[in-house]
Amino acid sequence: MFALLLGPSSASADDPPAAAVQRRVEKGLLEPLALKEKERSRFSRARMPPQERRVRVTQAAVTLDASGRPYMAFAVDVRRGTEWQENDVVGCAYTQSGALFVKRGDEYRPAEILLGKNAAVAPNVCMPAKARS
Amino acid sequence: MWNRVRNDGLRLLFLGAMTLGAAFIIASSLAYFDFSELPPFAIEKLPVRFSTLWLASLRVHVTAALVSLPLCILLMTRMVQRCRALHRWLGRTAGLIILFALVPTGAVLAFDAKGGAIVTAGFLLSDALVAFFMVKGIAAARRRDLVTHRWAMGHVFAQMSVAVTSRAMLMALDVAGVSPDLAYVIALWLPVVGSAAAAELFYGVWHSKVRLLGGMSHGLSKVVRSLRVRAPARSVIRVGR
Repeated sequence: MFALLLGPSSASADDPPAAAVQRRVEKGLLEPLALKEKERSRFSRARMPPQERRVRVTQAAVTLDASGRPYMAFAVDVRRGTEWQENDVVGCAYTQSGALFVKRGDEYRPAEILLGKNAAVAPNVCMPAKARS
Repeated sequence: MWNRVRNDGLRLLFLGAMTLGAAFIIASSLAYFDFSELPPFAIEKLPVRFSTLWLASLRVHVTAALVSLPLCILLMTRMVQRCRALHRWLGRTAGLIILFALVPTGAVLAFDAKGGAIVTAGFLLSDALVAFFMVKGIAAARRRDLVTHRWAMGHVFAQMSVAVTSRAMLMALDVAGVSPDLAYVIALWLPVVGSAAAAELFYGVWHSKVRLLGGMSHGLSKVVRSLRVRAPARSVIRVGR
């Protein structure tokens, strides 16, 4: 399951980056997350899994971070009943490495944290070079 | 007779539901003891202040609850209540775990409860009720006041049952399509207040009835003592004097 998160992006060079990121998030995060949620008991104080999730890539073009690595921001919306709730998860996907990060509080962590992996805060990711200078 | 059958039936039904709920909680809490992974409840809480203290408190709280809830269920059964020595030792164990592990860690966790101040207040209220009635119940048992002991422990068990009723309500509200944030508040406050009211209704009424009967019999015994019939022989002797 974690190999999906850490593995390289399967997008081909011809894909538009937004479509590739969307597919990457679906394969690398939403599918393993849904599998994980199927296994867990619902008799818990943890939030109930939503009926559906969808990915939105919230940038039209790639952005370069401080290290010059290209990434795109994404948001995951969830449906509970008939209502969609936007930005349940926000994060970014690195288009070359395929690495996914999610925002918890003010910090970004590897997306594997949503699957239960104890992932430390990743500094200097998902932030455009300009914003840091 | 009918009241007795009805009360015992309700009691068995409630204890059965609690046993089933406790079993579900135990099954769903196994994730907390996989130290290589974060449990789902912890993931959604990130980031938390004092995360090490919070996660340690969560694990101690879950462990304490997993032991004390089944113990409380056992202690409420007539079978264990009849075996006084067993009831006493199980009660001491449960009391220690609840007062020194469950309640303090519950208070720590309450301050970072999802849902904000209203949820924090709900958890703290439940925690305070458990602590207050546990101390009262133990003190009553030590002075052999079993009526007060029963009433106080009824309240403790009622608040312990919130763990089960609250989770059941969360599931029901999710099916009903209530938003998770609102559902969390409803599924906490309704069981906390409802359980306290139910405990007062069942044990409080019984408690006051017994107290009333006790008071009446005490008053009656005073009257009886004051109307003590003099021994005719003595009066005869006095007359003789």
